[in-house]
Amino acid sequence: MNQAVQPTPAASTYVETRRHELRKSRLVMIDGSLAMNSRTAEGGISSRVYDRGYWGFASAPDSGQGTNLEQVGRKARENARTMARFGPRTAFGLPGGSYRGEHAFAGRPALSQKECVERLAELHAWCAKRYPALKSTLFMLQDEHHSKWLSTSQGSEVLNSIQRAVCYMTLTAEGPDGAPVEMLDRISGKGSLADLDLSIEALAPVLDRLHEQLQDKRHAVSARGGLHTVVMGPDLAGILAHEAMGHPCEADLVLGGAMTRDLVGQPVASELITMVDYAHSRDGEELMVPVYADDEGTPARDAVLIERGRLTDFMSSRETAARLGITPTGSARAYNPNDEPLVRMRNTAILPGSSKLDDMIAGVDDGYLLLKTSNGQADSTTEFMFGISLAYEIRNGKVGSAIRDTTVSGSAIKVLSSVDAVSDDMQWTCAGYCGKKQPMVVSMGGPAIRARAHLGGQ
Amino acid sequence: MSTTVLHDAAEQALALMRAQGFDHAQVTASLTTQDEVNIANNEPSLLRSTEVRRLSLLGLFDGRKASTELSEFDAEAVRQRIAGLHADASSAPQDAANAVSSGQRVRIVQGPQQGDLGLLADKAAELLAFRARETPRMMIDEGAALHTRTDARTLTTGDSDLSCCLGWYSLSAFGTARDGAQSSSFNYTGGAANDLRERPAVEYFAIDQMLRDTERQIRTEPIQSNFVGDVVLMPNAVTNLVGWLLSQISDVQLIAGSSLYRDRVGALVASPLLSLQSRFDAPGVAAFTSDAFAAPPVEIVREGRLMALTPSLYGSRKTGLPHVPTASSGWDVAAGTTSRDELLSGVARGALVGRLSMGSPASNGDFSGVIKNSFAIADGKVGTALSEVMISGNVAQMLRDIVAISRDRLDTGAFRLPWLRIANLHFS
Repeated sequence: MNQAVQPTPAASTYVETRRHELRKSRLVMIDGSLAMNSRTAEGGISSRVYDRGYWGFASAPDSGQGTNLEQVGRKARENARTMARFGPRTAFGLPGGSYRGEHAFAGRPALSQKECVERLAELHAWCAKRYPALKSTLFMLQDEHHSKWLSTSQGSEVLNSIQRAVCYMTLTAEGPDGAPVEMLDRISGKGSLADLDLSIEALAPVLDRLHEQLQDKRHAVSARGGLHTVVMGPDLAGILAHEAMGHPCEADLVLGGAMTRDLVGQPVASELITMVDYAHSRDGEELMVPVYADDEGTPARDAVLIERGRLTDFMSSRETAARLGITPTGSARAYNPNDEPLVRMRNTAILPGSSKLDDMIAGVDDGYLLLKTSNGQADSTTEFMFGISLAYEIRNGKVGSAIRDTTVSGSAIKVLSSVDAVSDDMQWTCAGYCGKKQPMVVSMGGPAIRARAHLGGQ
Repeated sequence: MSTTVLHDAAEQALALMRAQGFDHAQVTASLTTQDEVNIANNEPSLLRSTEVRRLSLLGLFDGRKASTELSEFDAEAVRQRIAGLHADASSAPQDAANAVSSGQRVRIVQGPQQGDLGLLADKAAELLAFRARETPRMMIDEGAALHTRTDARTLTTGDSDLSCCLGWYSLSAFGTARDGAQSSSFNYTGGAANDLRERPAVEYFAIDQMLRDTERQIRTEPIQSNFVGDVVLMPNAVTNLVGWLLSQISDVQLIAGSSLYRDRVGALVASPLLSLQSRFDAPGVAAFTSDAFAAPPVEIVREGRLMALTPSLYGSRKTGLPHVPTASSGWDVAAGTTSRDELLSGVARGALVGRLSMGSPASNGDFSGVIKNSFAIADGKVGTALSEVMISGNVAQMLRDIVAISRDRLDTGAFRLPWLRIANLHFS
């Protein structure tokens, strides 16, 4: 591990030092014009010290020499000691052990900016020819690559590399009233943009489906507000897992008063629901955001949050695990080189069941099929929401008219307890960011589920 | 790193861009330092000191554009990156709208240039003491008192030279109130100020009100049936409306042709009660744009009438619309004439809304969202806190349906906003 840096313990209970490189590329093409054509590289070193119950953190640009490392180490120790002005604080022994290893995704050689521009131009030209009535197209290519070399006073020596790529596709048409109507889809995956199949052959079916959905949405009707039976497609189950019970099972939020704290061992969902935050792999296959050891050097383990409907575990850092008296899951992660690690999700999913999606729809007399989501938010009460950008009515077991953009919400416990069918398939996605003081790259996945939930509408 | 070094780095980078053969270029060298006292779970927990250095380069070559950022100022690293940037630009399509600014001159020194660590610690301690004394059921999950200093210099080949030394303090609190097994929704407030010495910590950004309100939100009730009623949006919820309007009049929506306001300058787009203007001298805000233009004051909405769209230089050249430079933040909704009590007393049935938890509104403005940190209003009286209540409507229509605006405003730096009463929302 030639780029690892050595911690400088100096009478502190815990020291971690991180060298962190973050490289991103981003291209945006609107109607054939390249509105953004950007590549960025940021590097920094940081040190975090836990001393007598207080944390000190410092970061600086990576000079490539030892000077900044020594300075940030000294500043972090000084900061932890400065906090002693607030008086004595309980110092916890930080559990979690250590990890030594290097993990980097070996993907295809990166696309040049020229190749990316060519892909975008092809997509725009193909759409302009195939869908001449469109008002606008917008395509965005984005990838980011985090490389983190970590050393801790507990003996961890880790290289963690997280790399993900996303292609966003937005088509805009004019509605019957002249107002714009748009639909967005995205494909995402581990690795760089070279690891996504951006060929017309691969994306044509995605764009055709998106265009059909756009036409459906031009004639959408309003949702009826209130409690309804909803079939949430696989795209939504992941965000349901993430927002509804994922955030309330983050140990820092549990310590902060989330109501999940008193629910361990109790039923919080239908027995059909098992929900896991995977560390790096599932069934032997590496997932989109593989975390073998977190940014505190803790060996990462899966966190089974809900097992057959019962709440079982929380995601934690070393300190939050110590405070809760649980085994750390290796969930402490930092986004930017100047960020401290926080408890974050990794690859969160509801596990598949045994039902078929078509049967789940056929079993609904009056309800909605929810297929695409925009963003979502969680709450300490487990009351969640997420925006719905594509949904259809279900009447007498048949899919009917599209509905306008709406929001689905509810108490996660009530909604998950009402689940009466879970499909046997599963989809993963790794687009967008989770927000919580810092952004974070996470993946989420799940099958389709049928439940009762609250829809916004008239 | 001294200001001189930063300024030299910008000049050297621009010279290298010229030497590389770019026809036009823009260079920004910046250094941001921050000291932050963090609160976690009602206790002071972390002191964080960070330094972020950045060199942002934008190059135009034969009408083609590319940009990059790097954190290394070393001449060889910069030279290599500029060579790569030239290759990136060469592969981009030609676009006659690409250009850089010319002849702009701005020098801003604003706010406290040196942070006072003792002051940050004192403010964190004041916040914690208030919580323990006045709102003991409140758990501050995350709180922060911080000082930020940003030095930056932007140069272009068009002889623009813009620089700033900005310093500001920030305070924030985020948390939940809890009583036994019941807990409130998360609540949050915070903002930026040039000084934190003027009053107790909790009197900034209505932190005291947020803490007290959140304690009153532990016990909640859903509504009994769907209805159409009024909302009184607290300032933090008003940011959703203002943010949506600002996005509608900026580059992406204007270029894509999906803005509802593309051809509406001069028309009434909101209630005559509403006026929105810039305050680009707000704490932490530099009155210039990311594409290197001075950003003079601008009126966006005057008494309900749309006064300007805000395309960047690129957006303007792309759409043919007049270029209106705007800073990264700093907006002000004019105060109204109504007291907050009168605002509430006029509501027959509705809700006082602290936060809108919602997805991005549809391109036509349709939205629905959960109202969080909110209270029922019946016959002009504020009642119990609400849970699992949604409102739906259309944001563009909401701007037209504003029926009263408060005299009081909340100043968070980025926004100075009043309370708004808006009619005709669907509750479910």
